[in-house]
Amino acid sequence: MTPPTLSAAAVLELARLEGRANLDADTAQRVAVGASNAVRAVTATVDDSLFDVEPLHYLAELERLADGG
Amino acid sequence: VDATRYTLVGAADALARGEVSSVELTRAMLDRVRRLNPMLNCYIHVEDELALAEAAAADAARAAGRTLGPLHGVPLAAKDMFYDPQRVVSCGSRVRANFRPTAMATVLARLRAAGAVNLGATNMTEFALGPTGHNAWYGACRNPWNVAHVAGGSSSGSGAAVAARLAFGALGSDTGGSVRLPAAANGVLGLKATYARVSRAGVMPLSSSMDHVGPFARTARDCARLMNVIAGHDPADPTSSRRAVPDYEAAIEQDVDGLRVGVPRNHFHDGATADVRAALDAALRELEGAGMRVVELEVEHAEHMTELSRAVVYSEAAALHGHWLRTRGEDYSPQVRARATTGIAIPAASYLEALQLRPRLLRRYVEHVHSRCDVLFTPTLPIPVPTIAETDVGGSPAMWETIAKMVPCTAPFNYLGVPALSVPAGFTANGLPASFQLVARPFAEALLLRVAAAYQARTDWHERLPSLV
Repeated sequence: MTPPTLSAAAVLELARLEGRANLDADTAQRVAVGASNAVRAVTATVDDSLFDVEPLHYLAELERLADGG
Repeated sequence: VDATRYTLVGAADALARGEVSSVELTRAMLDRVRRLNPMLNCYIHVEDELALAEAAAADAARAAGRTLGPLHGVPLAAKDMFYDPQRVVSCGSRVRANFRPTAMATVLARLRAAGAVNLGATNMTEFALGPTGHNAWYGACRNPWNVAHVAGGSSSGSGAAVAARLAFGALGSDTGGSVRLPAAANGVLGLKATYARVSRAGVMPLSSSMDHVGPFARTARDCARLMNVIAGHDPADPTSSRRAVPDYEAAIEQDVDGLRVGVPRNHFHDGATADVRAALDAALRELEGAGMRVVELEVEHAEHMTELSRAVVYSEAAALHGHWLRTRGEDYSPQVRARATTGIAIPAASYLEALQLRPRLLRRYVEHVHSRCDVLFTPTLPIPVPTIAETDVGGSPAMWETIAKMVPCTAPFNYLGVPALSVPAGFTANGLPASFQLVARPFAEALLLRVAAAYQARTDWHERLPSLV
């Protein structure tokens, strides 16, 4: 099955909403592909373990793991 | 004075012995920049008078019996995005072409306090958004090994300047590979330290969650000396760690006998060409010869980590550049405008999910990978260094494909935030440098430098000179 990809038209709509009216169709197409790839990777990696995760714990985790913690 | 004779530490030692003065060394470097920069375009700004004044001050201090620090009188350079109130800092852009900061970047202040002389600002990809070193406003930086080829990006000029002996060392920033890729392309060392290890205060932001600062140098010892100066807590950077800074230069004296080097079976070597693989195989044999043991392993989620990092970088960059893109969109080159816009199409929920995943994937990576090996071994750039033409807009139908092949080995470690070092390891069939990347657990930069030093003790790639130099 072809993975879902955002359309260039949707990107142009978002750009218009954000006041970035100077986006051309080619750029919108590239943005659509780039954003879709990123979102698909996030979706493929996420599971239900994130509900209680605080992103700021990342810095503490770096320190903890430094010495084999 | 023949400035090509010295490494960074060699230059510092020669200065300390009185064999050469800082003014002599700086003047020699400036002469070389004047001769070679028209071919390489690795500097955007060089202020001879400022550099010579700093060199004269260093010489005067030494004459008065004062030692400023471990870089006393050594000429260095920094990417044109480290803020310095004495200089215009363009960030490689038209938008900030006349920007004069009011405060100095902490890392520049630390280099200055250690006695370094600032030669000038090196070329870079516009706003650090891109891996090749093209720049629509200041021109592409060219590779000293072959000027038809890219110098890598985004810290293109820092890599090229160190390789061409136009600075003894340099600073760059790395958000997806922007220190390690130009280090690899130019055949020098480039270290992306652990997130939080080196202050980013006063450095142009691209993506606060992924931005790292790191040094370029030709030897592991040179790199270690730069780390000794720039690493450590900075009250001006709330993300910087309070963890004690080791003596990196002392650490590289230890041997590597018995250490384990991990070679991933998945993802990292998939896109490597035959000549890159051959260079990496030869490098692995050297590491084995130094007493290291090779183990094979899997890196979980490696295939998604580049895109996870992009979900964060694109979102944060789109927010940072939003105002200028709305009001001055024409002052961005088309490629950079597209990269800085991509985040508007990434849902906020996806951005936050990518950030929430980060501590968990970091823990799994360290527990799984670094319980099996001390350092992970991958290509830095899995393909031969491409030409400027084939990675330029309209230059080749395969342009996007080529550019996409440049970052899959580097960006995952910005996402994880662990330290990663690119080490030159010979040449590919096109005569351009090949490199490997070493990765370790958080804050283990000293281990990476120790392994690189052991490798450099057995090889001479770091002593080779590009023919135009």
